[in-house]
Amino acid sequence: MKAKMKLTTYQQEMLDGKHGEAKQFCMDKLLDFGKAVEATEMVDLVLTLNCCPIYVKDRLEPKRLAKLNEYDLGHSPLYDPIFAMKDAHVHDESGTECGNDPYMCQLDKAGEIKGQPNGKPWNFELPGKGSFRLDEEMVAGFKAGYDKLMEHGWLPWLSCNPYFNTRIPKMGEYAASSESSAACYINTILGARTNREAAINTVYCAYTGCLPKYGTHLDEYRAAKVIIELTDEVRDNIKGMADWGALGAAIAEKAGNRIMAVLNLPKKMGPGATKNLISCASPGMNDPMLHLMGYTPESPTLEAAFKGKMPKNPERYTVTMDDVVEMYHHLNAIEPAPGPEKAKPVDIVFFGCPHATWDEVREVARLVKGKKVKKGVHLWVQTDTPTYFMAQHYGDTKTIEDAGGHIFHQTCIAMSPIRHYPKGTVIATDSFKYVKLGGGFGPKWIYGNPEALVNAAITGVFTPTARWDYWSKPREKCLASEKERPLYQGEKPMVD
Amino acid sequence: MEKKIVLTGIARSKGKAAGEAMVNRQRIGWAFNHVGNEDGMVMAPGADMKGKIVTGKIFVYPTTAGSTSGAFSLYYKCKVSHHGPAGLICQEVHFIDINGAIAGEIPAVDKLDQDPITTIKTGDWVEIDAPEVGEKATVTITRKG
Repeated sequence: MKAKMKLTTYQQEMLDGKHGEAKQFCMDKLLDFGKAVEATEMVDLVLTLNCCPIYVKDRLEPKRLAKLNEYDLGHSPLYDPIFAMKDAHVHDESGTECGNDPYMCQLDKAGEIKGQPNGKPWNFELPGKGSFRLDEEMVAGFKAGYDKLMEHGWLPWLSCNPYFNTRIPKMGEYAASSESSAACYINTILGARTNREAAINTVYCAYTGCLPKYGTHLDEYRAAKVIIELTDEVRDNIKGMADWGALGAAIAEKAGNRIMAVLNLPKKMGPGATKNLISCASPGMNDPMLHLMGYTPESPTLEAAFKGKMPKNPERYTVTMDDVVEMYHHLNAIEPAPGPEKAKPVDIVFFGCPHATWDEVREVARLVKGKKVKKGVHLWVQTDTPTYFMAQHYGDTKTIEDAGGHIFHQTCIAMSPIRHYPKGTVIATDSFKYVKLGGGFGPKWIYGNPEALVNAAITGVFTPTARWDYWSKPREKCLASEKERPLYQGEKPMVD
Repeated sequence: MEKKIVLTGIARSKGKAAGEAMVNRQRIGWAFNHVGNEDGMVMAPGADMKGKIVTGKIFVYPTTAGSTSGAFSLYYKCKVSHHGPAGLICQEVHFIDINGAIAGEIPAVDKLDQDPITTIKTGDWVEIDAPEVGEKATVTITRKG
């Protein structure tokens, strides 16, 4: 045995090779990690969420390697030794369900990407700027990786939100989610326990069903360290998915990468709201845990959120509307900060990072109904498979497509090589997570609420809703009429 | 005049490495959007080392930031595309980066007896000797005067 780790009889047998080469290989790797994080035992997993590999022969062939360096997130070669083993199968016999994040393209539409750029992710043309098309060999590699995973018993989730509708861990259970937003939701709202799992471990633990117990599995890494209180003004005026993202970001910034207990939240936050609030976790903070008082099941009281170790005077910060406004300004990569006079042209408007919930899809459909997306502008909605087919069944898809938009499942814009999009591409979204993830790449980003985003897709120009003018000013100078002013409807940007 | 500083810390991933230091005062992760898999270039917005190439360097930073894919992206840069750093020195090596460093077979060290962010300067020659995970590791800094 390599580590001072207490193993069950079955785990020891896996390590000793009695359950096949793949399980032994993976146990060995997990024990190396367990030793580094000083784990003393393993947890039994109900869910593993990772990322589908690109499976190609001879990935070091120079031309292919150059492509892979652009397309591969870095995980694919880890699967090669496991794919070469005859007995490899995920540990689903004990109830560990394994699946993957969205990836490069929608598989049932993979045939369509052979043609000319057609405005469908992720082949598209931007008038005057150029075009982007996925490499067919890489798409074939993704399909091959997916097929191989299906053989191994992985489930075809291709979604960042399996916790909503596909595999819902319950309080006290353990999971391994490399999808940060899912990890944070699982800890915060469902009360199950997962790290933002280091994404090499999630390859190995799928095949063993167990993982060293460390980090957020343990109470000491789940305890609140600081209290964040929302003002009543914040509680009563957060409206729209981008507001929830900006609020999450503002909270995370105040807490300075520490776990927080959040007080004075609105009474009814729906699935889209909690998802967007919580998805601040990856870009904003390292620990995938918030104690949302009134929502987080393991924290009925502040004392419980601090795991019984609340200091007499815990550090306490207030989040005001000014903080949320400031976050909006910070998130708009295009300077200066937008106002109606700073209207900006857009190329791509997208929703659904993390994947859109049905309430989000319905909202886009409601906003775009009876309108037309401006020629040359792209409106994309990405969602999980259950929601995709619900939207088809109940007509939301037709509404979005009639307006010239597109809706997708199994895929995510973040998983195409955005760094290689045409120069000067402007992308508008309500995803805090993606503005942060994509912030280092070439495109320029606009962050806004669905109402303003759909308006941007229709007019080709982004203008923020007037309420940000209202909230940007000292309250005594605010005009009630600014809350009501309609969005700019013009064709041309007022400034370039 | 050459100046030598020797620090001791804890190895989170074992190995020996030597290279020029790059000190990044902000939290940063190893995901493909923070440091390019195809060229080792730092892209994270607001990073001190933005635009610089990490390949073969000893990278010094407080702790990770961002995506869990930092684990396999670090591995990929070290073992597949060969644009990875030679070693990591952190105030605290995050679990995600421990995972990547072990798979990438590069040393990662933290809990040094002086703050590495202020003690080490970009351009210093740094040697890491980290024989065993969880055990003492030595960091030797050589600065040309």
